[in-house]
Amino acid sequence: MRWRYILNVVGILTLFFGLTMLFPIAVAFYYKDQSVIPFLKSIGITTFAGLLLHLCFRGSRVEIITQREGMAIVSIGWITIGIFGALPFYLGGEFITFVDAFFESVSGVTTTGASVLTNIEAVSKGLLFWRSFIQWLGGMGIIVLSIAILPFLGVGGMQLYKAEVPSPTPDKLRPRIKDTALLLWKVYVLISLLGAILLLIGGMSFYDALCHTFTTMPTGGFSTKNASIAHFDSVYFDSVIIIFMLLAGINFSLHYQMLRGKTLAFWKDSECRFFLGTIILLIAIVTFNIHGAVYENICQALRYGAFQVVSIITTTGYATADFDQWPAMSKLILLLCMFMGASAGSTGGGMKFLRVMLYFKYCYKELFSMIHPRSVTHIKIGGKVVPEDVTRSVLGFLGLYMGLFVLCSVVLAGMGVDFVTSFSAVAATIGNVGPGFANVGPALNYAQMPYLGKWLLIWCMLLGRLEIYTIIIFLVPEFWRK
Amino acid sequence: MKVVIVGAGEVGFHVASRLSHENKDVVVIDKDGDAIRRISDNIDVQVITGSGSSPVSLEEAGIKEAEILLAVTNSDETNLVACLVANIISPYTKKLARIRNADFDKYHAIFRDHAPHIDTLINPEIEVVKTIDRLMNMPGAVDVGNFANGRVKFIGINLDKEARLAGSRLDEIPALLGKQGPLIAAVIRDEELIIPSGDDRLMPGDLVYFISEEDKILDTLTIFDKHAEPVKRVLIVGGGRIGSRLAVLLDDKHVYTKIIEKNPDRCAKLAEKLNKVVVLHGDGSDQGLLKEENVQETDFVITLTNDEEINILASLLAKRMGARKTITKISKFSYFSLMSMVGIEQVVSPRLSAINTILQHIRRGKVLSSISIKGEQAEFMEAVALETSEIVGKPLKNISFPKGALVTSIIRNDNIVIPSGDSIIEPDDRIIIFATRQAIPKIEKILTVKLEYF
Repeated sequence: MRWRYILNVVGILTLFFGLTMLFPIAVAFYYKDQSVIPFLKSIGITTFAGLLLHLCFRGSRVEIITQREGMAIVSIGWITIGIFGALPFYLGGEFITFVDAFFESVSGVTTTGASVLTNIEAVSKGLLFWRSFIQWLGGMGIIVLSIAILPFLGVGGMQLYKAEVPSPTPDKLRPRIKDTALLLWKVYVLISLLGAILLLIGGMSFYDALCHTFTTMPTGGFSTKNASIAHFDSVYFDSVIIIFMLLAGINFSLHYQMLRGKTLAFWKDSECRFFLGTIILLIAIVTFNIHGAVYENICQALRYGAFQVVSIITTTGYATADFDQWPAMSKLILLLCMFMGASAGSTGGGMKFLRVMLYFKYCYKELFSMIHPRSVTHIKIGGKVVPEDVTRSVLGFLGLYMGLFVLCSVVLAGMGVDFVTSFSAVAATIGNVGPGFANVGPALNYAQMPYLGKWLLIWCMLLGRLEIYTIIIFLVPEFWRK
Repeated sequence: MKVVIVGAGEVGFHVASRLSHENKDVVVIDKDGDAIRRISDNIDVQVITGSGSSPVSLEEAGIKEAEILLAVTNSDETNLVACLVANIISPYTKKLARIRNADFDKYHAIFRDHAPHIDTLINPEIEVVKTIDRLMNMPGAVDVGNFANGRVKFIGINLDKEARLAGSRLDEIPALLGKQGPLIAAVIRDEELIIPSGDDRLMPGDLVYFISEEDKILDTLTIFDKHAEPVKRVLIVGGGRIGSRLAVLLDDKHVYTKIIEKNPDRCAKLAEKLNKVVVLHGDGSDQGLLKEENVQETDFVITLTNDEEINILASLLAKRMGARKTITKISKFSYFSLMSMVGIEQVVSPRLSAINTILQHIRRGKVLSSISIKGEQAEFMEAVALETSEIVGKPLKNISFPKGALVTSIIRNDNIVIPSGDSIIEPDDRIIIFATRQAIPKIEKILTVKLEYF
């Protein structure tokens, strides 16, 4: 482990992150609100800290980053960004304790969307913009962005890319990692632009359209309104947001193929087929379940059911209805959605459909080989054999995911949180969804969580965004051994 | 520029690594998952697991947009088929293939003009034999490369402790010799590359690189106290493909040659093929056999078996028993830096030869050839100065050359000029540039035509 180099890179990342604060400053100036001063202070502190780290540890150039160092850079980088992202919130005075500001910031960059704010609309426009903007940065990944536009990472970029991109087997779309990262960001910006235009056409104000695009595309879920998307109460906005949440939940390399003219790309990809098929099935079940019980009209049931299923399964976390009041079956389906998550290589969280699919195929293979003990079979996805080590790592991932979910729920319940709240809060943060059930349901928020509980959930959000391994490896003693 | 490489072996790996450092888009195809993982973990290139001769993998790799296809798997057949398939899918892609079987020697031209249209066939064994021949004729040289059809050479020598120049500053050399010394392009000291200026000193043990005209080489070498001794007796250990090619060459040159080979069948074949060469059946690391065959009287012992550890040990043994010089064949690149430490001076590597040949065909602009020096930290490049490139028509000191690059000679109408700051390069001059790895992309840019001329 070359700590000097790691800290140097983290310094550059911090510096870079500090410069992105220029955007909310512009917004704050435009609306002449009271957040200008906190932002100026934050940008000063962040860039200074970044510069200091960089200058203290500069001169340590390396050609190749090991996998271990890549993981260290990414996880330390994300924690650092979480801390500095919290500065404007803390200095802005909206949050009394630093842990609240930190919670909001990490919930932002990890695209979770869990909030501790009780009255969102009272917060200044500059801060709300920052809240949305960090989600957008975190969605495609701040490190992927730095690989794309900062020249310093070079060959080591691949290790960082692997540690940040949420996929068991990250695709390399172009021969060079820099070009791949740039391409992903271009696609991301392009789709975001399209989303913002469609929201503007529907009559949303420019500010709200921008903020909501910034939280839809990374499947984040922060809203500028207390009532989330329900505030607008419009079929048009609901459907536009459903479409863009779905797009954000699909592997971005498929978008790239689409844009290159392969119109059947979505259909040809087995994960995407499985993803969209499952969503349709779940929407149908939820619609029939809430029809009659909550909504008299089938169309209304479909509208709210579809929005909520898509919002939770893509791990966005917007709400147009208080789904905590829905029948148990619908609630359980939504809980299931929190675990499944979106596609690999998308901006969504959760376990990812690719892994779930692989798991089902693995189970089937086991059953098959019990019936034909001498059979030779391979697990195939999209006609290609999945290598043994990928299967093993996926099974390990699923095991760890469930294990950590149970462990964290137990610990949270031990802090005096009730049964449903504790496990749904952990499921919603580790899956980067946002709202859970009971006391953390869509109508409420995370403000009542105990002090230590907030720290635990912050850790869960980071675990979920960086896909467990990158964060958990820090707890393995072998990692620290020389 | 996009390059598709078929084969992720040692050659594929190193060419990919070099090209990716030079900001080229590289895609590597190989069947072996482990080899692919080694590449994707260490180098910034795209990888595809699959057979390189399959049209599906080649299309996936984007052969249609590729400027160059390199087929460097271990199998000649796979390489040929890969080129054949590429020729069908994308006829305009330049194709380079490594073909090792000697039976194909006569067909290189035919493959170029007919069906697979392979632009360059590389036979590393032929290149290695050429290198060995050059090293044998150059007393004390550790590394030799040819430019301008062999009329200009770059030579790397180890500076001995007793040498006159050891310890002297570069700007003192003319006074010391009473005439202009050779142009010293680079010095490698403790594995570190130094581009020396006037106030740097030459130290004993340095590996010194300089440029010289062919007919002045022996004079130049005497400056470094290396004296020519005729090669009369040679012992080759290992009668494989390279060994037998070398034996044939030496046979033709009437050098008294012995060749030791372990495999009796192989010995029988060698004896059939060779006339005056003494074919011995036995082990090259057998002290008794070496003594019996008078190894202490031999000028050169050349170890060429397929096992590099045996080569190293046999060379050390021969040297200890009194052989004057040794040349050792080594394939593993990680061993190169160890060689001077254990006392082996002259090393050849078929893979390094292949890489050099490949790189000189990939270089842009009017680069005629390029050769890496030991350790691959830098390259000598021979190029034609295009009329529209930035280097033509102004004094060298006014050209913004990147750090770590140096024009070492200018060849104009058969005259060779060692340039100074005031020299001006004219259109169609051939120039030899020395550049470190970092400087190569910039040099390529300088050598290519300026954009406004299109």
